[in-house]
Amino acid sequence: MDESLDSWFKREILVHEKSLVRYLSRSWPNRQDVPDLRQDTYVRVYEAAKKSRPQSPKSFLFAIARNLMADHIRRRRIVAIDAVGDLDALNVLIDTVSSEHRASAHQELRRLAEAVDRLPPRCREAVWMRRVDDLPQKEVAILLGITQKTVEKHVMKGMKLLAQAFSESEPVEGSQGRSDRSSTKSKI
Amino acid sequence: MESHQEIEDQAAAFLARRDSGNWTPVDEAELEQWLTESTARRVGFLRLEAVWDGARRLRALSAGLPPGAVPPPGGWRRTPFFDSESSPPLRDGVPASSLPVQAVSSQSGKWPRKRLGLLAFAASVLCALGVGAYFTSAPRGDRYSTPIGGIASVPLADGSHLTLNTATQVLVELTPQERHIRLEDGEAFFQVAKDPNRPFVVEVGNKRVIAVGTEFSVRRTGDDMRVVVTEGRVRVESGTADGAAGSSQLGTVRERKRAVGASTEMAQGRRPGEVFLTPGSVASAGDDGVVVEQKPVSEAEDDLTWRHGYLTFHDASLADAVVEFNRYNAHKIVIQDPAVAAIRISGSFRALNYEAFVRVLGAGFAIHARSTDDTTTLTR
Repeated sequence: MDESLDSWFKREILVHEKSLVRYLSRSWPNRQDVPDLRQDTYVRVYEAAKKSRPQSPKSFLFAIARNLMADHIRRRRIVAIDAVGDLDALNVLIDTVSSEHRASAHQELRRLAEAVDRLPPRCREAVWMRRVDDLPQKEVAILLGITQKTVEKHVMKGMKLLAQAFSESEPVEGSQGRSDRSSTKSKI
Repeated sequence: MESHQEIEDQAAAFLARRDSGNWTPVDEAELEQWLTESTARRVGFLRLEAVWDGARRLRALSAGLPPGAVPPPGGWRRTPFFDSESSPPLRDGVPASSLPVQAVSSQSGKWPRKRLGLLAFAASVLCALGVGAYFTSAPRGDRYSTPIGGIASVPLADGSHLTLNTATQVLVELTPQERHIRLEDGEAFFQVAKDPNRPFVVEVGNKRVIAVGTEFSVRRTGDDMRVVVTEGRVRVESGTADGAAGSSQLGTVRERKRAVGASTEMAQGRRPGEVFLTPGSVASAGDDGVVVEQKPVSEAEDDLTWRHGYLTFHDASLADAVVEFNRYNAHKIVIQDPAVAAIRISGSFRALNYEAFVRVLGAGFAIHARSTDDTTTLTR
């Protein structure tokens, strides 16, 4: 594993996931495609960064996302007329979205705590005991009265739910409206 | 091509298995193989790994909680980390809103009964007082106290804020002339609201720490006092109110400056027995004088990680580290071997998790631990 590339990727690219997903959601008519678009964007960024690290990672990330969506639109003309508007609109959206301020450490911790609070109770307890107290899996199992395998399952569920919480923001009106109107679903 | 969901599920399975502790080099090789096969898998894995690692930050909210005690949802809002931003009003000395401590069920004889007992006792005392609080405090008028391992958040009527550490007792008296805190035992962190008409005075025996608008901590050990300043300026006075008697009692002010990042400001005050401290100052005041060490503020703040439930050591002797741990835990760590006592350690440890600390010592320094109900003795 290329240690420094992975660290760089987490620190400079993944950190912008919420903004990226917001941008994709506003720009693309079909919300269900967004996680795949997100994944494909990441893949392109990672592959490119392998060769040379971009100077401004955030701008690079958004440029890749924009190009990816443009590619899809160009390749598949089976997209509803009123779905995306024109490609230039994508540029405008990049500017508004990327000028968001980075949340302070305080706010990030608050968001984390709130996201953890929304986990199912048992899952939340398992996550807390493992992440905060570093209790061995065996002890967590005993304290919660469940098997070690179940603790592991809670950990799995917890990290997926937290990933989802950090990825998504509140539903964006624009994209939802568009997906209602569009008569054809775009297939990536 | 795999969907993002399939990749996420697989990545989560790998991460959870690795997290469980049952992870062998064979597993590691299997993961590497899986990751190499597609970049989509690799970025999907990094994404979940980043989230899981990031969840560690929850530790900042763990002060005052014994391991295994999970706060109820929203309980973290009452921690010192957030409380100074949104302190609820005090009514008759009692925080207006409070949350019950979540009971931890134990079916194992391995879980020390004493610790659960302490938690249950604290909870029952608080319920009797009509306050089910995440942190313990004794809201009887102006006196506040914490048990061993406890932590309390005390907002004052003038807008200042106190955070009480383990085994601490303070007496708060606000008058039109002065805001007076007597630190009877233990340690507290003070965030002082600006009020030029009323000095904020912390009294420790015959010593006083005086501030106008600033942040600092004071710790009392017997008649000795240790002050750490993180913001603003404080004045330390020793001896009686009149400077003359003070000078003979205080003796000289010895300054010890660190080479890197040291400030050149003179700490000696105008009157004998008076010392000014600035951010990064760590002062130790005993009967024979005050020693001031000047550090970068970030290093001085390591002294204050107890507010988040952590003890931070920089090349400290094991003897000193154990003294610290014993402040927070009824179960005491004992060292009889001078060679063991002299071992130097660094790192951050949960204050209430002395067992994890002992485990780390065992793993890193081949130190053996022998435990009774009340003590754990460390030997080589």
